[in-house]
Amino acid sequence: MLIQLTVNGETIAVEAPPDITLLDLLRDYLNLTGTKEGCAVGECGACSVIMDGRLVNSCLVLAPQADGSEIVTIEGIHAPDGGPNDLQQNFIDYGAVQCGICIPGMIMAGEALLMHNPHPTRQEIRMALAGNLCRCTGYQQIVDAIEATAKQRQGEMG
Amino acid sequence: MFDYIRAKSIDEAVALLNDPHCVSRPLAGGTDVLVQVRHGPPSFQRLVDISRVPEMKIIEQRGDEIYIGAAVTYTEIIESRLLQETATCLVEASRLVGGPAIANAGTLGGNVANAAACADGTPPLVCLDAVAHIRSLNGWRAAPVAELITGPHQTALHRGELITHFTFPILPSSARSVFLKLGRRNAQAIARLNVAAAGGLGADGRINFARVVPGSTLSHLRRFVEVETLLIGEAPSTELCETAGAEAGRVMVEATGRRWSTEYKEIALHGLVACALRRVFHLEN
Repeated sequence: MLIQLTVNGETIAVEAPPDITLLDLLRDYLNLTGTKEGCAVGECGACSVIMDGRLVNSCLVLAPQADGSEIVTIEGIHAPDGGPNDLQQNFIDYGAVQCGICIPGMIMAGEALLMHNPHPTRQEIRMALAGNLCRCTGYQQIVDAIEATAKQRQGEMG
Repeated sequence: MFDYIRAKSIDEAVALLNDPHCVSRPLAGGTDVLVQVRHGPPSFQRLVDISRVPEMKIIEQRGDEIYIGAAVTYTEIIESRLLQETATCLVEASRLVGGPAIANAGTLGGNVANAAACADGTPPLVCLDAVAHIRSLNGWRAAPVAELITGPHQTALHRGELITHFTFPILPSSARSVFLKLGRRNAQAIARLNVAAAGGLGADGRINFARVVPGSTLSHLRRFVEVETLLIGEAPSTELCETAGAEAGRVMVEATGRRWSTEYKEIALHGLVACALRRVFHLEN
């Protein structure tokens, strides 16, 4: 079936089976492989994307459910020059990345949080990451990186 | 392999679900259905997407009742000022369902239709005496949530029926409701035990309204009227909450018998109910 959606600002029409997930559509039909498949049952958050302004597990969204929606994937998060944006740079600077497979989902969860709550407490950051599992870092540096980004963005806005 | 179609209205959804040429099931948040299809061949030929049916996304007060559309997500419940004021237990439960991505997708109607014993959305609905409104080709029917859910993953829903919304009477002005959950970890956890409780005091300072609904406890979700009866007419105290907690444990063991988990669950339910009631009666934050 024909699925029409906006991905990272670009309007796309793609022919795909009706019974695949948004995750499969992104990775296998649109070649956006930055979104990772982890558990594939909504428990790990590696496949997190932002759909119509809300964080979702793309493994639990049926591809045709995204018809008419605006999707932002990790490929849509970057600085104007195509390099890392401030949140991604802070992940690097704070040592928040080890093996890396959870990181696209962590960045999307972080961006989704900051969209809705520009002034999060550390507890709110932890709650925002509740659905994103990392087996390497122990989360501390990830929380640090999101907290630092929030403070920097507040400074820029102030 | 299955097909997909998006319904634009309740009428269209019900017509599609009753198409004699195609075995269809409703799809709302997908957080249960899409997990099930990963684990085995689907029991349907088509999913009818009801997640964007406007009539099923309503949260509002209608007279003395609260009306919640079945396709309302946990996030929409959490963000609803009306529900924060009138259904605290449901808002608190919604905050504890999975992480943000699950809360953004999962729906109240899906939680009831899936009827998992460990569901977090169902004990608050039973605590609030919620009624499910169900539409089929034959018209409308209403069923208390406590009767609609007949066991773990079992409901009295017939094929082709669709839960469209829930209603419940607004609690007495003196009443407060809370929800507590025990899981293996604080976030993204399946409930090992949970409880929704509500209570209020009369002008004499004695309890004149009490509801206690433990979840993940019995095969059939229900109000623990034994505990509620014990509370009515008494002045709230820490000791009374302990007594009520112990009674909840006794009722559970009487219904389930002693099994491998009882040693843990009896004590845990006692503590959970006592804690919930202390919060209900402002003996603890």
